[in-house]
Formats: sequence, C-alpha cells, structure tokens
Amino acid sequence: MEERNIAFMFYALAIAWGLLFGYLATLAARQRRLQRELDNLRKIVQSQQEAP
Amino acid sequence: MVREILVVASKDLRTELRTKESINASLSFALTVLLLFSFAFDPTAEQVRQISGGLLWLVFAFAGALVLNRSFARERDNDCLEALVASPLPAWALFLGKCLANLVLLVAIELVCLPVFGVFYNVNWARRPLPLLAVLVLATWGMTVLGTTFSALTVNLRLRELMLPVLLYPMIIPVLIAAIELTTTLVAGEPLQAEQWVWVRLLVAFDIIFTSLAVAFAETVLIS
Amino acid sequence: MRQKWIYVLLGLAAVLLIRNLYVILYVLPDEKEQGPIYRVIFFHLPAFFTAGLCYMAALLASLHTLLRQSSRADALAVAATEVGLAFAAVNLITGMIWARIIWGIWWTWDARLTWALICWLIYAGYLMLRHAIEDPTQRARHSAVLNVFAFAAVIITWKAIEWWRTQHPGPVLSIRGARGAMDPAMESMIYQNWLALLLLGAVLVALRLDQERVQREVEALRRQAHAKA
Repeated sequence: MEERNIAFMFYALAIAWGLLFGYLATLAARQRRLQRELDNLRKIVQSQQEAP
Repeated sequence: MVREILVVASKDLRTELRTKESINASLSFALTVLLLFSFAFDPTAEQVRQISGGLLWLVFAFAGALVLNRSFARERDNDCLEALVASPLPAWALFLGKCLANLVLLVAIELVCLPVFGVFYNVNWARRPLPLLAVLVLATWGMTVLGTTFSALTVNLRLRELMLPVLLYPMIIPVLIAAIELTTTLVAGEPLQAEQWVWVRLLVAFDIIFTSLAVAFAETVLIS
Repeated sequence: MRQKWIYVLLGLAAVLLIRNLYVILYVLPDEKEQGPIYRVIFFHLPAFFTAGLCYMAALLASLHTLLRQSSRADALAVAATEVGLAFAAVNLITGMIWARIIWGIWWTWDARLTWALICWLIYAGYLMLRHAIEDPTQRARHSAVLNVFAFAAVIITWKAIEWWRTQHPGPVLSIRGARGAMDPAMESMIYQNWLALLLLGAVLVALRLDQERVQREVEALRRQAHAKA
C-alpha cells in the first residue's frame, strides 16, 4: 500500500509538470509554424508587389 | 413592446405550424428516445418512480436542441434574418419573441411526451398538473433563453448543428438538476418538500439572470 | 524586447518550480494520515487558483472587448481561457490521482469535482466556438458574449451543485478560516508553488498572446495576397 502511495505521488507530480510543459512545447511549436507561414506570406506579397 | 414580442412569436409559430419541420423531427426523436430507454433499462415500477424526472428531462433536452437549432437557421433562407434585423423592431424584442415561440413549441412537445411516458411506463403522471406545468415552463424557459442565444451565435457556422449542443448542455446543468429533482417528486404525485423549494428558487434565479444577460447582449449577438 | 522578458520569466518560473519540487520532496515530511500522496496538494490547489484567475481575466477581457471593440482584449480572453484550461486539467488530474489513493476511487460525483468538470466543458465549448467562427470581428464579439454567459453559468452551477451534494474535503487554508488545520510550513509551500505556477501561467499567456498577434498578421497578409492574385 505504502509503495503505491509513493508511486502515485510521483505520477501526479509528473503529470502536473508534463501537462504544463507539454502545453508550453505545443505553444512553442505553433509559434514556429506561424512564424514560418508569416515569412512565406511576406515573400509572396513582396513578389506580387514587384511584379506589375 | 409586448405587442412587438407577440408579433415575432406568432410569426415564428405560424411558419413552424405550416412547415412542421422542427416539431415533427423533434417529436419523433423524443418518442424514439423514450422507447429506447425502456429497452436500455427495462425498469420496474419502483425504478421508474425514481428515474422519471431524469428520463423525461434528458428527452426534453435532446428534443429541445433540435427545435432551438432551427430557430435562427430557419431565417437564413432568402436573408430573412437581415430583413428582421433591419426592421424597426428592437433587437431584444426580436430575441424575446423568438424565445417565446421556442418556449411554446417546447412545452407543447413536452406535453405530448408526458402522456406517452405515462402509457409506456405505466405512470399516472398527472396527479399534480399545475405545479408540474409550472416546473416545465420555468425550466424550459431557462433552456430556451440560453438555447436561443446560442442558436443566434452559431447560426452562420458550418458546424451549427454540432456546436449548439456542445455549448448548451454544460450550461443548462443547473436547470436540469433542479427540474429533475422537482419533476421526479411531482410525477410521483407527492407534494414538494420544504427543502425542495431551493430548486424552485434556483430555477427562478437562473431564468432572471440569463434573461437579463440575453436581453442585454441581444443587439451584439444579432447585429454583426 | 518582449521576447526577452518572456524568457526571463520562464527561467524564473523554472528555477522556482525546481526549487519547490526539491523542498516538497526532500524537506517537508510525510503527512501523518495520508503519507507521501498529500504532496499532490502543492500542485492541486495552486493550479486551481491559477485557473480561476485565468477565467476571471478572460471575463474582464471579454467585457472590455464588448465595450471597446478591442482586438487586443479579445486576444487576451482567448489566451487566458486556454491557459486556464491547461491549469484546470492539472487540477482535475492530480485530484483524481489523489482520490484513487485516499478514497480508493478515481472519480466521484461530489460537488466540487462535478463542478470543476462542468467548468472545463463550458470553457472548452468557448474555445470550440472561437475555432468555428471565421470572421475576426464577429469572432471577437460573439465569443465575448459567450464568455460572459459562461462565467455566469459557472457561478450558478457552483450553487446548484453545492445543494446537490458534497464530499470533497473542506477548506484547509488559514485565510479561509480553517486556522490550524494545516502545518504552516506546508501551507506556505502551497503559496510558494502558486507563485511559481502563476509565473509559468503569465509566460504561457504571453506566448499565446504573441501567437494571436502573429495569426492576425498572417490573416491580413493572406487577404492581401488573395486580393492581388
């Protein structure tokens, strides 16, 4: 019983950390993807402006 | 003002009675669910007495979403919504009129479901008709006010049939809890206990709070 | 400049979280009835407070959106709600693991548990509605209205479910009038970890806000590109 008590404590703390930092990681990934998309679009708009 | 609300409500009811599109779908759906419940649980008389409120209100909530979905979706054809918004009616009168029409439709469906429930499950449900009707109206109004607002919020979305239940059901849980508690007692033919009045107060408070919020935001929701 | 501040805050939050974890695991003793599992409370309660603050921030931002038609307030509303949902998930899951040991079950339809779950569903619905609306102005106004409704529903649901049933342990913090219910060192640790989670929450909200800004820029550029093409 005592062992399970300790094990579950570790699971709980790990999930708390994992969830928050996992969310942080998805935010960072989304940010990179958006930035890439933004750069691409800037290039497209720029090339459109250069063309007559 | 009352006249304007009634004009919108009677317009909605008339269109609904001519096409019967949401009433038919909603009624047959409600009856099917009532039937399915008896297969799923095959309850004894005592069990029916305990679960009657829950069973009825789940049916009403499912059937309600179908009616509420159509409330604004109906106005999409021929840009009727734009015409309504452009008319000299204030937005909140338009909104309350639609709520009233939905209330009448839903209570009518509930009043058809109750005898069917009584026959299928061998329950003499009409022993306290007036308090039961009051509970039906109070709880259905709460569901209607939120549902009509969300129907307006989701009317232009591609996924509106899916969005409405997702938004509506979690928010009407207080109404459903109160209505289930009260309906179970009243359908069993017992008088309300003193401690059950708290649920009546909850229903009234819910109705007042969300009616005022909905009226306050009617213009924001409808005109944009 | 803003980026740099975010990194500084993130570093601070990480250092504090690691230091707190050390104190929680090695300095504080086991609780005499619950054993080691009680340590879950150092995340369970602060996560709940942080989520609550996020929802309140989202409400204020939504009201501001409605009154001033500000798109920045709208961005704050969605950022705060999403971060709030993350913390609420931490709160729910740590609570379930604690319950498995102490109550012997993962879940019970107790007042606070039920309420926390309903709140989660309500705010998840808010994010889904936002996702479904394409026009930015309409999205801002409609989701702001929904947010106000959501907050009112959360308050009423709390009352309704309290009348319905209660099994969850009562307040343990001294500011809630439960003086002496908890060891002062443990209680202070709850606040310290709350500070850490709040810092982390601020970082998350700031990152999410940045995303909304970039997203808007992307949408504007896309319209521009389409108009030209």
